[in-house]
Amino acid sequence: MERVLLPNSSPLVSFRLLFDVGSALDPAGKEGVASLTAAMMAAGGTRRLSYEEIVRAMYPMATTFLSQVDKEMTVFFGTTHIDNLEKYYQIISRMTLDPGWREDDFARLREDAINFLKVNLRGNNDEELGKEELYNFIYRDHPYGHHNAGTIRSLERMTLADVKNFYRQHYTRSNLVMGLAGGYPKGFDERVATDFAEALTEGQSSKIEMSEPEKISGLEMRVISKDTRGTAISFGFPITVTRSHKDWPALFVAQSWLGQHRSSNSHLYQRLRHIRGLNYGDYAYIEYFPHGMFQFYPDANLARSQQIFQVWIRPVEPQNALFALRCALFELRKLVEGGLSEEDFESTRLFLRKFVNVLTRTQDAQLGYALDSRYFGIPPFIEYVRDRLEKLTVDDVNRAIRAHLQADDVRIVVVTKEAESFVEAALSNNPSPIIYASPPGEDVLEEDRVIEKYPLRFNRSAVEIIGVENIFQE
Amino acid sequence: MIFAYDYRIDDLPNGLRVITVPTDYPNIVALYIVVQTGSRNEVEPGKSGFAHLFEHLMFRGTEKYSTEKYDEIMKLAGADRNAYTTDDRTVYHVTFSKEDLETIFELEADRFQRLKVSVDLFKTETKAVLGEYNKNASNPINKLIEVLRDKAFDTHTYKHTTMGFLSDVENMPSMYDYSLEFFNRYYRPEYTTMIVVGDVERDEVMRLTNRYWGEWQRGDYRPEIPSDSEQMEERTAHIPWPAETLPWAVVAYKGPAYSDETKDMAAMELTGSLGFSENSPLYQQLVIREQKVDALFYSFEDHLDPYLLIVAARIKDSKDISYVKDKITETFEGFKSVAPAAAELESVKSHLKYGFALSLDNSDAIAAAMAAYIGLRRTPETINRLFEVYGLVTPDDIREMAAKYFDHRRRTVVTLDHNPR
Repeated sequence: MERVLLPNSSPLVSFRLLFDVGSALDPAGKEGVASLTAAMMAAGGTRRLSYEEIVRAMYPMATTFLSQVDKEMTVFFGTTHIDNLEKYYQIISRMTLDPGWREDDFARLREDAINFLKVNLRGNNDEELGKEELYNFIYRDHPYGHHNAGTIRSLERMTLADVKNFYRQHYTRSNLVMGLAGGYPKGFDERVATDFAEALTEGQSSKIEMSEPEKISGLEMRVISKDTRGTAISFGFPITVTRSHKDWPALFVAQSWLGQHRSSNSHLYQRLRHIRGLNYGDYAYIEYFPHGMFQFYPDANLARSQQIFQVWIRPVEPQNALFALRCALFELRKLVEGGLSEEDFESTRLFLRKFVNVLTRTQDAQLGYALDSRYFGIPPFIEYVRDRLEKLTVDDVNRAIRAHLQADDVRIVVVTKEAESFVEAALSNNPSPIIYASPPGEDVLEEDRVIEKYPLRFNRSAVEIIGVENIFQE
Repeated sequence: MIFAYDYRIDDLPNGLRVITVPTDYPNIVALYIVVQTGSRNEVEPGKSGFAHLFEHLMFRGTEKYSTEKYDEIMKLAGADRNAYTTDDRTVYHVTFSKEDLETIFELEADRFQRLKVSVDLFKTETKAVLGEYNKNASNPINKLIEVLRDKAFDTHTYKHTTMGFLSDVENMPSMYDYSLEFFNRYYRPEYTTMIVVGDVERDEVMRLTNRYWGEWQRGDYRPEIPSDSEQMEERTAHIPWPAETLPWAVVAYKGPAYSDETKDMAAMELTGSLGFSENSPLYQQLVIREQKVDALFYSFEDHLDPYLLIVAARIKDSKDISYVKDKITETFEGFKSVAPAAAELESVKSHLKYGFALSLDNSDAIAAAMAAYIGLRRTPETINRLFEVYGLVTPDDIREMAAKYFDHRRRTVVTLDHNPR
């Protein structure tokens, strides 16, 4: 059992109990079991306390204990005021070490998971629907190839015994990393370590060898047909770069320049939203970043051994959807072929050097990043980024862009009410001019005439339309 | 004291207020500029959504600093910046490294005093606002709140959401001249408070404020916000929803305006928590035991004028909509006859106290928490006064408040369902 400790003098104490256990371990037909197991621990009762009693005990402390499940890790986390540390720890240690496995908790949480997929994603959030489905599309027939919550079919068949088995098999000392930060008293960390070491069996590491994702050839597209106002578009492809790869800092710069999350400094935002008014924003990623419409900073502890490069185009009016897709691909190609200028490189590097302070501004975030640095085997995050950025040159960045990014072999997911006409227009390769409320300057119009004809080399056998009711179904 | 930071308030002769809060968190400074105008100020018909539109336009440049230049300087400062609009305020915030304090002050002062947006840029930005409406449109909560407000208010500007009526949003591209008027009215020092939190000293903050913000001219516009007459009967609405979703029921009562002096508002906030938080008997019943509902929550946002206590439930089966709605209204009724147990009330007060304390874990979060109160009263002291009032509320106060406010004639109910009724 490893420990990551960040003691300080704050009146708050943050826990992050991380298990190297994730949805990639879900057996076939049991997709979602890792998530449901974590939910039973963080949102169900213990052997002694019902979930109602836990909620009532936590309420006066105004704190929570939540779980987050990703492909390769599950983290249980919460922060308490030091006044309440003892009481809080008593509860959360029981939740993780002595879950109650009640049938009524199971029924409630399984239904929550099904409704999360059916209603929250499929019904009420076209953007996240498209972004998540892009992962399923790229990782078809791969341990990453289903949503962390599972599929509706597998969840409907899941039993309490499945969840208990999963817990017994994977919640072991070998998989646990204990993270603790804040003004906890001397000896407290030792006590937590002893409690967990005594209650869990040693077990074996659950790490598995990940297969390679499928090769993509040409533009491959899945269009989700849904009655909705806007057209949401996401596209991407696998990259071999994670934080442990030497090119990560270079791609971090490239990604920030092209599409810094929710920032008007994002180049894609500039070209699509700012100049052309196409939508609300456009961004690029080299790491998994869920719930981006609700938050400005990524959550920690979503570390993966395999990542994709991704572009997120927020909903556009259907009449401009194909233009928007072309525009984003055009900009990506320009980056790949032309690279970053010395000036853009310098300003982005400077931005990121300071921005890492913002990313790690809370104690809980610092702890989360520290745990991720352990996973990737890199120095503490701020130090790592600053040090690598210092040594980086524009040539390094442009070499990394050419090595890892491209605009030819890409998977695209589109959510739209006009699925058939969109596919027809995309495959026809006819120009798709943008329709403006107020035309911009001549320089932009001139570029538009190029973008509207941007050649779309679709792999016709890999273009499909799927009704929204079939997504996450099985 | 719940807000225990040492702070200084300085007022410039032009009416601009500056609140400086030095903290121990190193390197970082959070600047929140609070303009006391929001969708509440949109008093003219056909012109809803302009406070929010301005939140966008403020990033569209000045003569001295084009958007590109502004973005570039902000980027070099490693700044994290954004803005948001509510009914009562518009807030521009930026978090950056302390060595860039002067740069940021100059840049922000420039756009607040000398914003210059061309007609073409204006039109392009209005399309981004429509894009924002569109990306929200697949979420039924937004629609529920839009319909609830339209139903619950008659003439008061809380009738429309901060996004504005869709027809007004669609018409925005033709409203350039009005946008200039809006800026002239409200982007004035007497409407504005700057909150500076972090690794800063007050003297340096004031030197820079005087230098860059001292020339800003006071305005003279005061809006007449129409007030509604007393609601005299229950109002209801139903929304048929085109996409797959679970049904919703929303129950709302007119509540009191924000106050840090009288008990009604504090009592209503505590009641929301007693009745509808995850700690409440109703939540335990509907969500945990009966499992008929998968989300139940309340919201009672502080507002300058009387607004709504809103309770929302997402229901798993259409056949239970009436049942859930009745359970919610019964819970409200219950508070009129039976005062809550003292221990329950203490648990809720403790939750509020620790919840606020836990949220103040970095300079940006402190400034963000302050901004909401500064929009209402322009001083952080209102936070301490409010929490004192919470402390004074007794079980009997809850009962008395309930008798006054939870009259069915003050109620508005909105339901939403994919299945036909």
